[in-house]
Amino acid sequence: MAESKLEKFKYGLLKLIDVSGFKVFDPVVRLVFGEEPRKQAGEVLKFLVTPVVFVLLCLGLWTVIAPRHKTKSGEVPTPVEVWDAGMIANTLNERENEKETDFALSGSQREAEITLVQQLLAEKKKQSEQLKAEAEKVAAAATEETAAAIAPVQKQYDELKAANKGAKTTRSGEIKKLAEAVAAGSATAEKLLQAIRDDNLASDEARDAEKELKDHMDEIRSNPPKAVKKTQLAYDAAANEVQHLSKRLDYLQKGNRSQKVSQAEQKTLAAMSKLESATTSSAILSAAKSVVQGEEKAARTAEQSYPRTATIWFQVRRSLFTVFVGFVMAAVIAIPVGIMCGLNKVVMACLTPIISIFKPVSPVVWLLIFQIVVGAFFPDPESHPLFVFFGSLPWIGELGVNPALVFSACTVAMCAVWPALVNTALGVSSIDKDHMNVARVLKLGLWSRLFKIIIPSSLPLVFAGLRISLGVGWMVLIAAEALSSSDGLGKYVWDEYQNGSSHSFANIIFACFVVGIIGFFLDRIMIVLQRSVSFDDGAAVV
Amino acid sequence: MSDNRYVEIANLTKAYPNPFGQDVAVVKDFNLILRKGEVVSVIGHSGCGKSTVLTMLAGLNPISSGSLVVDGREVAGPGPDRAVVFQAPCLLPWMTTFENVMLGVKQVYPHGTPAERRQICEYYLSIVGLADSMRKYPREMSGGMQQRVGIARAIALRPRMLLLDEPFGRLDSLTRMDLQDVILEILDREKITTVVITHDVDEAIYMADRVCMMTNGPEASVGQVLEIPFERPRIRADVLDHPNYYDFRACLLSFLEKQEHNKSSHVEAFEERQRQERELQTSASDRQLETEPASV
Repeated sequence: MAESKLEKFKYGLLKLIDVSGFKVFDPVVRLVFGEEPRKQAGEVLKFLVTPVVFVLLCLGLWTVIAPRHKTKSGEVPTPVEVWDAGMIANTLNERENEKETDFALSGSQREAEITLVQQLLAEKKKQSEQLKAEAEKVAAAATEETAAAIAPVQKQYDELKAANKGAKTTRSGEIKKLAEAVAAGSATAEKLLQAIRDDNLASDEARDAEKELKDHMDEIRSNPPKAVKKTQLAYDAAANEVQHLSKRLDYLQKGNRSQKVSQAEQKTLAAMSKLESATTSSAILSAAKSVVQGEEKAARTAEQSYPRTATIWFQVRRSLFTVFVGFVMAAVIAIPVGIMCGLNKVVMACLTPIISIFKPVSPVVWLLIFQIVVGAFFPDPESHPLFVFFGSLPWIGELGVNPALVFSACTVAMCAVWPALVNTALGVSSIDKDHMNVARVLKLGLWSRLFKIIIPSSLPLVFAGLRISLGVGWMVLIAAEALSSSDGLGKYVWDEYQNGSSHSFANIIFACFVVGIIGFFLDRIMIVLQRSVSFDDGAAVV
Repeated sequence: MSDNRYVEIANLTKAYPNPFGQDVAVVKDFNLILRKGEVVSVIGHSGCGKSTVLTMLAGLNPISSGSLVVDGREVAGPGPDRAVVFQAPCLLPWMTTFENVMLGVKQVYPHGTPAERRQICEYYLSIVGLADSMRKYPREMSGGMQQRVGIARAIALRPRMLLLDEPFGRLDSLTRMDLQDVILEILDREKITTVVITHDVDEAIYMADRVCMMTNGPEASVGQVLEIPFERPRIRADVLDHPNYYDFRACLLSFLEKQEHNKSSHVEAFEERQRQERELQTSASDRQLETEPASV
């Protein structure tokens, strides 16, 4: 009994793997359940271990090659650096979360948090001081070391320079004499020319020799011992943490919402008492005004939320939302139009020129067009009912729906609509003739023909189209965001490119992986959907 | 209309244009009259136009000339009164067996209650022996079972006429015999006027009251009609043992053999005629071309 249960579980798992398109793990499961271990181990070796080894090889190659290429923004980061950059980006996100909670805390919780943060801050400060001292010590030692290394070279350089200068003066004197001799007619002009040429050649050589020594010194200076960088980084990280903790303290004490509200309330109370004690009409008026103002301010502050800076995970969520909106727009247009195209040759003929002309248009062009067009619809985006509505929704509200999101989504939709449309039309027009004959014999009406025969039969192709659409949409979105500075992963990449800090390059590459991995999972989701609507149980797409 | 002339096929012709724009008659002057409740099998070599006749009867294929009358009404397009069982089962793969049958039942019994419709579907599915497989999808069933669903779907429509287009052509011979009996049983009970297209001589004799032998195409028509007087309900062993059975069989086979023999000469003559016509046409159009510049 237990064994059959286990079997059931195993086959359920295998089915799950199959449906989700992770066929690679099939032999692993079978191996775990002890089915033909020899064969399965072979499969695992061939199709799982080998690819993993290959990927590791690629990473190794990357690690070796990357530092050899020097760019304006420093060396190309290695995988480890990219990973570190990702972790730092993640830390930033967590810190924002902390500050956000700090901003909203009130009452005894706030008090408790203050003491906690103060404690932490004191600890960190101490640690930071230590690290600073150490970093300075190492740096000083390194400076000394460098100076020691440079000194002999510098001496050599100075000597060379002096010698060269002496030689040059001697040569010039000789040339002068020669010129006089030429004037006196005791030497030929030819000889003078030769002397000048020789002089130039000798000066060039001397300069080259000097330059070589100078370069050597520069190299020593620009390559301080590794320990310097390491201690400096450790100190930077600690200092960063200290800064963050003091910011938190600030948010807990002064910047806290409940504090701000109570301040405003106190002001109102003060104004109230003033109002009661005031006697002249002008004093009453100004007191009353400040009461109302105070009340309004308190109410406004109570609704305030923490002004988050956009971290990478926020941008990921926003990009996902934007691509979802654009994708839904594309599907809503593409499926009905595609069905009409597939059913009616005239509609198809009408739409063919439009499809063929607009399909190859670059997303960048669409972005600019939609930026202009969509902008005109929302002259005052802050108070537009659409954005007010989205702003009031949970989850979505904090993503900051604005016209930039709308036109990014429109661009996504415009580029994603074509594959879905064309595939839907193909799916509908290539319905099995026999199935249509069944519909004709049964004299099915338009609606049952549509919903019982046409749509179910074309669904696999429709979903294949939607899958391509989503892939295209995700790719287009990142470009659109980078170009339009609409918040999202694209903007994250663009901002990193623009700010050029030491982590920027690594951050960009990290974002590249994030984009890729999300794209991969979106594709997998579509495969699962496609598989679940395929009636023939085959058509496994990987 | 009288029951003796329940289905009238008169001078039925189907022509398709060839690449030269000429009409080529696949079927020409096909004449057949069916009594009510009669089963007629149509036999002929493959490609002779048997299926064309059937699809025209079903209304799926417009006729070029002639007339088709079923129960006093001219055939104008397909309809559930002439149910078709295709060679492939043609089930909708995204529906269960039950839903496939229900699709037609809903059309034919628009005023029935859901319970009534369900009963009808269940009844016909049980007749074809699929009472246990109603919730199965076509992909989970064998070809024979799928074809049973096709049969149930057709007869559940309570059609005036049943059109069977080589319904067992893709099945193995054991399944085929099973299904022949299933259909015969239904026909004995429901007395539906039926046309069976087949290229199997034994099947043609076993199932039909009359066998209509078609000449080879192009311009195929009825070559000979053979009356099969075995009484119904039929039992396979008895039919095979019947003294006349082998005579009928021999008659059919000799007809088909003769057709095969005539085929080459027949087709050659036909093609020769077409070629001559074409030459006539081209010379006519050439003459036209010559005169054209003058008229401009």
